[in-house]
Amino acid sequence: MVLFTLILATLLLLLLLFLIVRPKPVSIPIKNRHVFISGGSSGIGLALAQKAVSEGARVSLLARSLHKLKEAQKSIREVYGVDVAIFSADVRDHSAVERAVAESGPIDVLVVNQGIFVPGALENQASEVIKSVINVNLTGSFNVITAALPSMKNRKDGAPASIALMSSQAGQVGIYGYSAYSATKFGLRGLAEALQQELISDNIHVSVIYPPDTQTPGFEQERKIRPELAGIIMGSGGGALSAEEVAKKSLDGIKSGSFSIWFNLEGYMLGFSGAGFSPQTSFPVAFLEIVFAGLSRLAALFFLWSWYRIIQKKHAN
Amino acid sequence: MVILSLILLPFLLLPLLYFIVRPRPVNIPIKNRHVFITGGSSGIGLALAHRAASQGARVSLLARSLKKLEEAKESIRLSSGSDVSIFAADVHDYDVVQKAVSDAGPIDVLVVNQGVFVPQELEKQGLDEVKFMLDVNLMGSFNVIKAALPLMKQRTDRLPASIALISSQAGQVGIYGYTAYSASKFGLRGLAEALQQEVVADNIHVSLVFPPDTETPGFERETEVRPELTKILAGSSGSMKAGDVAKKALDGIQSGSFIVPCNFEGHMLAIATAGLSPQRSFLMAVIEVIFAGVLRLVALFFQWNWYRCIEHWHPRKKDT
Repeated sequence: MVLFTLILATLLLLLLLFLIVRPKPVSIPIKNRHVFISGGSSGIGLALAQKAVSEGARVSLLARSLHKLKEAQKSIREVYGVDVAIFSADVRDHSAVERAVAESGPIDVLVVNQGIFVPGALENQASEVIKSVINVNLTGSFNVITAALPSMKNRKDGAPASIALMSSQAGQVGIYGYSAYSATKFGLRGLAEALQQELISDNIHVSVIYPPDTQTPGFEQERKIRPELAGIIMGSGGGALSAEEVAKKSLDGIKSGSFSIWFNLEGYMLGFSGAGFSPQTSFPVAFLEIVFAGLSRLAALFFLWSWYRIIQKKHAN
Repeated sequence: MVILSLILLPFLLLPLLYFIVRPRPVNIPIKNRHVFITGGSSGIGLALAHRAASQGARVSLLARSLKKLEEAKESIRLSSGSDVSIFAADVHDYDVVQKAVSDAGPIDVLVVNQGVFVPQELEKQGLDEVKFMLDVNLMGSFNVIKAALPLMKQRTDRLPASIALISSQAGQVGIYGYTAYSASKFGLRGLAEALQQEVVADNIHVSLVFPPDTETPGFERETEVRPELTKILAGSSGSMKAGDVAKKALDGIQSGSFIVPCNFEGHMLAIATAGLSPQRSFLMAVIEVIFAGVLRLVALFFQWNWYRCIEHWHPRKKDT
């Protein structure tokens, strides 16, 4: 009797969610379409470029260093026999970004992936460093999006387009030593939620990607200067993923128009407890969000308990 | 049997969460202590100043306009008889902020309240306005906190101190027309969560206040230029008077709450967006766990409503 009610309730909830999830699910093809990746010369950006090329997309890369861009272009040509277009510009310079975007042609899938991370406790971090993290990660993203928007809105094919923002698990939870980086990655979410509402009528779909620690050159550098406490706290999460794994899951999420793209068990727990007011286009995932919301928040409270005890212990010494 | 365990559940959660909530609850007195408010010459900041002064705090105000600061100072002297210190500075300039902070003296309760908002669809908004909001609301907050922290850490009384950031409901959910503003206010939360871990050992407690639309001079200006759709969607939550927001804010700060909602809708938003934010009250923690699922369902209904509204206003331009 109880089992029957439970099954009935589940089916009713699934039906309800199927009817109400907005925006509606969508499929975003990338074969023969133009994928533009900022921060595309290394790390996750480069891995995304390789994956997109392997699926038949026409890829453009934007980054600061022409040297690194040429190396990236060469490596893709060697493996896939395909030429990607490269543009050297600093995302902080919006005129340079506009020129690059204009030259590359109308964009179908924009991947805003550039980012720098300089860990350090706020009191130890120079104001100039904080400023550059905000300018590259957040302001820079606005520069890239506003440069690409006009031609994206005027695209000729009627197919759905995508703007994907590379956030981080540090954009789901703020951790010791990451005040500036987390601020920018949380900020991308506020931008994305508002932007999706503004662009839905143009059939442009926003995705926010939340990778964990990923094995990239940037990560290697970051780990060397990471405060010890940050390492201990973050070590309690899953291990680092390869850039290829992150690229694959990211692209799959972009193609299915998912608003939030999570990785590994920790990522889903973070995602469910932090679902908040983000849209959810998949009704089965919406169902999981509702069912596991409470449990995820409980898990979150346990994580916080563990982290604050670690902090207390460290400072007692 | 099942029903029994469902009823028992909250009672099991209560003692469990009582023991595990971190950081622990705290009381932060403000009487006779130094409260420093940025953006304190008008709006919510001024209302906070009035309230803190009337509760016996020693208040300092930081803002850009000396003229407005002097008017604020006068109005507080008239209403509560106390003298506030005033400092004219732009939060964008770290050196100037640092000077103001050191002139003001060690701070017990730092209220990072300055903020600007210009609602506009991103494609129509100039990048200058985007940068302005990010600079003042986010970078400015970093500057203020960074300037105040050293002396806060070295304070001689052993009482708990507070760093309170005035966010917004637009920092809990991004709404049409608020790309830059929501970006800056969501950013404050990432900052706050990390900062709390960094300063808890110094007995400094971080609070994030989430007011809805509040009746302030800034709001008056903003509503004049608000896109129509923003008005409709943001109207889902009611507006409040600055004095009422100040009361909720100060109460929340004094109880050391990490998340401080200001009205009923705000409480719903807070539970829905609890995420990985700390919760010091074990009662609130139980409520968050029990109602998390329901609130997510409510959030999905809001999305359904909002997106239908948007579709009604802007019918899709192309069919696939």
